[in-house]
Amino acid sequence: MSTSFSRARRRNMGIAATAVAFVVFILPFLFTFLMAVKTKKEAALFLFSWPSEWHFWANLTEVIKARNYMLLLAYFNSTVITVAAVAGLVVFGAMVGYVLQRRPSGWNRVIYAGVLMGLMVPPAVVPTIWVLQGLGLFKTIHGMVLIQVAYGLAFSVLLYRSFIGTIPRDLDEAAIIDGAKPLAIFFKVILPLLKPVTVTLIVVQSIAIFNDFTNPLYYLPGKDNVTVQLTLFNFQSQFQSQFNLLFMNILLVTIPPLLVFIFFNRQIVAGMTAGAVKG
Amino acid sequence: MTASSSSVVLKNLAKSFGAVDIIKGIDLVIEPGEFCVFVGPSGCGKSTLLRLISGLEEATSGTIEIAGRVVTDAEPSERGIAMVFQSYALYPHLTVRQNIGFGLSLAKRPKAEIEAKVQAAASVLQLGPLLDRKPKALSGGQRQRVAIGRAMVRDPAVFLLDEPLSNLDAALRAQMRIELTDLHKKLGATMIYVTHDQVEAMTMADKIVVLNAGRIEQVGSPMELYNHPVSPFVAGFIGSPKMNLITGPAAAALGCTTYGIRPEHLDLSTTEGQWQGRIRHVERLGAESVLYLQTEAMGELVIRLPGQDCPAPGSIAFVTPRAGRSFRF
Ligand SMILES: Nc1ncnc2c1ncn2[C@@H]1O[C@H](COP(=O)(O)OP(=O)(O)OP(=O)(O)O)[C@@H](O)[C@H]1O
Ligand SMILES: [Mg+2]
Repeated sequence: MSTSFSRARRRNMGIAATAVAFVVFILPFLFTFLMAVKTKKEAALFLFSWPSEWHFWANLTEVIKARNYMLLLAYFNSTVITVAAVAGLVVFGAMVGYVLQRRPSGWNRVIYAGVLMGLMVPPAVVPTIWVLQGLGLFKTIHGMVLIQVAYGLAFSVLLYRSFIGTIPRDLDEAAIIDGAKPLAIFFKVILPLLKPVTVTLIVVQSIAIFNDFTNPLYYLPGKDNVTVQLTLFNFQSQFQSQFNLLFMNILLVTIPPLLVFIFFNRQIVAGMTAGAVKG
Repeated sequence: MTASSSSVVLKNLAKSFGAVDIIKGIDLVIEPGEFCVFVGPSGCGKSTLLRLISGLEEATSGTIEIAGRVVTDAEPSERGIAMVFQSYALYPHLTVRQNIGFGLSLAKRPKAEIEAKVQAAASVLQLGPLLDRKPKALSGGQRQRVAIGRAMVRDPAVFLLDEPLSNLDAALRAQMRIELTDLHKKLGATMIYVTHDQVEAMTMADKIVVLNAGRIEQVGSPMELYNHPVSPFVAGFIGSPKMNLITGPAAAALGCTTYGIRPEHLDLSTTEGQWQGRIRHVERLGAESVLYLQTEAMGELVIRLPGQDCPAPGSIAFVTPRAGRSFRF
């Protein structure tokens, strides 16, 4: 009796969860896709309807060709910024987290307080631009990379620091006895063990940085510096009523993060539970 | 693989953490090829002393000589030592083969040489079929052997082992005790072994160093320590069950501050003897029995008798210390 009841209940819960997931995740995506393949006129109606004519290829090529292939340039810029910034976040985050966790000296406490500040204090745009201008980094891709690293570093340092706390110090000492210098200990013993956190960090940060809209808007103006999210902004002003193209653009911009997510999905879950169980 | 064995000489070695003195001036000579065991209660500084020798911890004062060379300020890897940790400290992301060869590959030795040394260590330790496994897929005893293998390929002059058997169950511990003793004979290397288990100390050591609160209480062979303990601390630490140690007026009446007599050196009788008491508790172990006798004169005494025949709890009994077997401190 009770088992059949709970089984039915479990099934109902499953159906409910699937329905919610469908409404929240699949419907918007479906809507975007349907809009993207419609004609200009039909799209302007904003109806959740099956397109009367399929304009997939026409819309696709038009979006890509728009403004002298701006979307491709944006893909390139965003990819460069994302890869460089995430690489920086992983290497520096892990190194700083390692030193903070393993060598508690007076200075490290000050640095740790600084890291916590980095999480709490909201970034101020105008002074940041002054600093960038002073350093000659304003409107440059590497300047943008540094901004993204600076904004994300506090989080990644904290994540790595707490995970490194679960790695026994004996391992470091065994490596010291085996003749490893500090850099070798870090790269050959510690960093490989941080893989679960690293994967999580890569996914979370690369999606955030690739999809970033406001920071490139403030710190990276200029036609040559366009990033993917800004191509939407450009479209909206130029094709005021061409919603089919706008949605096609959205679709194209959504795909890379989606691929990253699907590809790393399994590891992310593993990474989030990794610290929980000893072994 | 015979390592050249070396002596270890500690001179007035001390270590403080901040204001707390943990090791308080240790002078010790360990001969080449000796199996030396540090024993003492928890927190007495055994691990710290071992880590000072290994170089993982810096000495506050004093000197350390290994193989006649002063290494007090040398890097751990330059001291000619290898260490086996209580937790084994195997690298979880590397296979057994890579774990054992890690130090050699760091030193950029040729691949063939690394492989040969790993194979040699694996055959001594019977790790051959496990070389491609990760530590996760090994049992406790196998992990232990990998940790020893990793120490062996370094060809160390001195092996340092910090409670290597404490994570194993009793049966495996007994087996590993024998294997380690055999390995010591085979390699001929100097070994320094930390334990708080006096059975391990008695069965494996050539020389036992009893530590108490950062100082050496006594140094000697197992039988020297058993037969001639210099202090009540050593007397109580070596031997199982523990020696009966009587203090206070009862000891003063016998002309000392602490009177000691081992449980196996008390003779029991139901009719007559030096001290009378009531048997409070009996533990029968088959080959021997342990009795707890509550006496008027000496407080509670533990008595060890061979065999299973002994008086029932609650009955009156007499004990007499065997002549020449008691200690007065
Ligand atoms: N890094 C450290 N900082 C401060 N105190 C320490 C440090 N390492 C050890 N101690 C202290 O030194 C004392 C001796 O520690 P040690 O680990 O050498 O004991 P032990 O004899 O090995 O004990 P056990 O049998 O429990 O392993 C302990 O009181 C411990 O708290
Ligand atoms: Mg210890």
